[in-house]
Amino acid sequence: MDAITHATFNTHVLLRLPSNNLKICELKPDTDISLGKFGAFRTNDVVGFPFGTTFEIQYDQADDEKVSVSGSSNDNKNSKNKFKIPVGTLRVLGSRLTASNSGATLGLEEESTPQPELQSIGNSENNQHLINIGNSIQKLSTEEIEQLKLQTASSEEIINKMIEAHGSFHQKTVYSQEKYLKRKKQKFAKFFTLEYLSSSGLLQYLLDKGDVVRAMDMSEESLGMILNLANVKSNGTYLCVDETGGLLVYALLERMYGGEHSADAAGKVIVVHENEHANLDLLKFSNYPEDFIQKHVKTVSILDYFEPPALAEVQEAFTPLSEEQLKLMKSNKKGAYYRRLKWYNSQLDIIDWTSKLQYDGLIVASTLHLPTFVPRLGERVHGSRPVVCYSQFKETVLELSHALYRNLEYLAPTIMETRCRPYQTIRGRLHPLMTQRGGGGYLMWCHKVIPVNPDDVKAPTSIQSGSTGDSDAKKQRLD
Amino acid sequence: MSQFSEYKDVIQDGDLALIWISRDNIKPVKIAAGETFNTRYGSFPHNDMIGKPFGSQIAVRTRGSNKFGFIHVLQPTPELWTLSLPHRTQIVYTPDSSYIMQRLQCSPHTRVIEAGTGSGSFSHAFARTAGYLFSYEFHEVRYEQARKEFEDHGLLRDGNVTITHRDVCQDGFTIKKGNKTTFFDAEQPLDQQDVARVDANVIFLDLPAPWDAIPHLNHVISQDSKVSLCCFSPCIEQVDKTLEALDKHGWTEVEMVEIQGKQYESRRQMVRNLDDALKRLRDVKERKQVGVERRKRMFNKLISDQEEPYEERPETPKTQYNPFGKGSRVKEGDANFHWKEVAKVESEIKSHTSYLTFASKIVNKIRDEDRAAKALVDAVENAKGSPLPNKKGVPT
Repeated sequence: MDAITHATFNTHVLLRLPSNNLKICELKPDTDISLGKFGAFRTNDVVGFPFGTTFEIQYDQADDEKVSVSGSSNDNKNSKNKFKIPVGTLRVLGSRLTASNSGATLGLEEESTPQPELQSIGNSENNQHLINIGNSIQKLSTEEIEQLKLQTASSEEIINKMIEAHGSFHQKTVYSQEKYLKRKKQKFAKFFTLEYLSSSGLLQYLLDKGDVVRAMDMSEESLGMILNLANVKSNGTYLCVDETGGLLVYALLERMYGGEHSADAAGKVIVVHENEHANLDLLKFSNYPEDFIQKHVKTVSILDYFEPPALAEVQEAFTPLSEEQLKLMKSNKKGAYYRRLKWYNSQLDIIDWTSKLQYDGLIVASTLHLPTFVPRLGERVHGSRPVVCYSQFKETVLELSHALYRNLEYLAPTIMETRCRPYQTIRGRLHPLMTQRGGGGYLMWCHKVIPVNPDDVKAPTSIQSGSTGDSDAKKQRLD
Repeated sequence: MSQFSEYKDVIQDGDLALIWISRDNIKPVKIAAGETFNTRYGSFPHNDMIGKPFGSQIAVRTRGSNKFGFIHVLQPTPELWTLSLPHRTQIVYTPDSSYIMQRLQCSPHTRVIEAGTGSGSFSHAFARTAGYLFSYEFHEVRYEQARKEFEDHGLLRDGNVTITHRDVCQDGFTIKKGNKTTFFDAEQPLDQQDVARVDANVIFLDLPAPWDAIPHLNHVISQDSKVSLCCFSPCIEQVDKTLEALDKHGWTEVEMVEIQGKQYESRRQMVRNLDDALKRLRDVKERKQVGVERRKRMFNKLISDQEEPYEERPETPKTQYNPFGKGSRVKEGDANFHWKEVAKVESEIKSHTSYLTFASKIVNKIRDEDRAAKALVDAVENAKGSPLPNKKGVPT
């Protein structure tokens, strides 16, 4: 329970940096976590705090900083081992906004006071007199700024010096000044927010580090829509294809169990994969214990799934021994026996999944040819249960939807798209963001149904009651 | 278990079923032996449905015309319910609700406050996923309707849903004994509480004036962990006032977004090659030429005063060349023609549902020292002890 709301040792957490980028960290006891230019901290200092807490990394003008940063900052980057980033102490901040100080902008328009740094400088109604002369407007050179970084620990001082040395800062509008401040603070501030590793967070982490292809260009809104349209709940057995390396499976687990891993949890995800081994690499970040994942996430290759072993052959190849027989077995043979037994059980499992189980949903994120793949996967989906397929491209789900449209076992295939439009959320200055990530993918949603053979449906005999006759008459009128 | 939470295999007497007639015609029906479901496509006796698996197609042939009419009987899910439910108010559709649930990390660990209940569309989705749902509705008639609906659907029986008649803007969220609420209905004899433990960590406010409700939240939200909130407001002025209230009451990480959901129909467009179009026009022109030349001859004869300028109109056979089926009714997808699969966006899209304003709050950002200390001891011990031997041989 605790690990869901509070930072706990030996769990993976997300750290949101001043740049808004995310980093995944494991909180191993007594270790340091480095955030690069944003500083470093000790894991023991964050454990026990609720998720969502923002910390500032502080250095008490300390000598340890001077000691480690003896070379120039370039050296520092190139030889991380030699010049380890010093570990600071942590202070809990009110919010990320207090850190970046643009909090004032959220207040009442009348009450909103320019930030302290801005008050003394003055600003312009408009930018009529602002002439863009590029970098030379900043009188401080890069070297001088680097020098400042070495001399002082506070980002505020650096930024104040930069403003003083800025040739035309007073000619900027107050809006533009605030943007300038925000930008600079993202660059020099040393704070981070501790976050729970949610499925959305994992997705954003992938996108931040440029793994758009791996995430199949999926957006948070598409991911959420998959989970809802597939009616994912904790007592279901789902058939899933996940080419995102485990992101989708992690999202399913989070929706089903919310980070809890009780022994009596029901539900299962059968993951069908195209290679010899499943790639659910991202699950290594999850905080579910290994045995919980093994119990609730089962993997089977497409070959084993579509061409399962024959029960007779499996039983012929191996017979489990009784307790007594096992006791009599020599210990040096037991290892080999258990290996065989494991193989035997896995074969029985596969037979189970491919010939007995009926699935409560089919969730596919795959780049295999969907019109041939999905109907075969859908064979074992129970009637009335949803089928949801994700694709980066509309064309592939369109092709699938046409194929399913002709197949009477699928009801009303629909192509869906959902897009989130974020706004600059400042009072009096609300507007959609100027740029945002494109893409986000498309979904095909339908339900598995059980058709009747039209030849088996006979017209009612004349003995039938009048009520049916009435509605027939109505139908003919309507026609 | 409820009609929604349990995966049902077979249609039984008394079940709530959603009967799918067409995409925009899905009817909630209580299955009852002896009853008949009437549509313009035929009459379907419930007895034909009982005993069949959910998802079954039920078909009839009409007497006389012998036309094949059918329906599909589905088990309700929150998303299908959203498409079929009786509207009491404007409802939250799946693109919005699914995004909100994903962003607020809804899971069995979540305790949700929803105000107001409205038509109960979102309530069903929350009830499926969340550990607990506290729903509030200030309109008395709508409260009664929703309470009855939750009861019929088994949501209250599942034990994780409570609905309370309350104007949360006026009277806050605290639920006490004696209030008009379902909270104390299933009270355990051991539970001698007078005030409900709400302890919510997810808040969804679909209210005309969320800023009046926000100040009351402190009493009912989790005190030591992160609480996430979403306000659902159609007007930008409401967002502005909400932002003011959120800021005043210590909510941070404020962001407003808008969701645009679209559906596409899969259609086909005929592939009509330029060469075929040219050929067709050449054919038309050629045959026209016959007539033009005849008229020319007739004119010349007339001019040169020859007798009988009239010439018989020649019998031009109807052209065989009609590559695009012009003049005849071609069904989309006709196998005699070549088609391209295309996606057609729905003719009317929901271009604006509401603005979604998100925020979060941690009431006490206090470190749980005991927890931290204990966690360290545990962690060290875990590291020392070797992992449990893997019971590989045990069949599962």
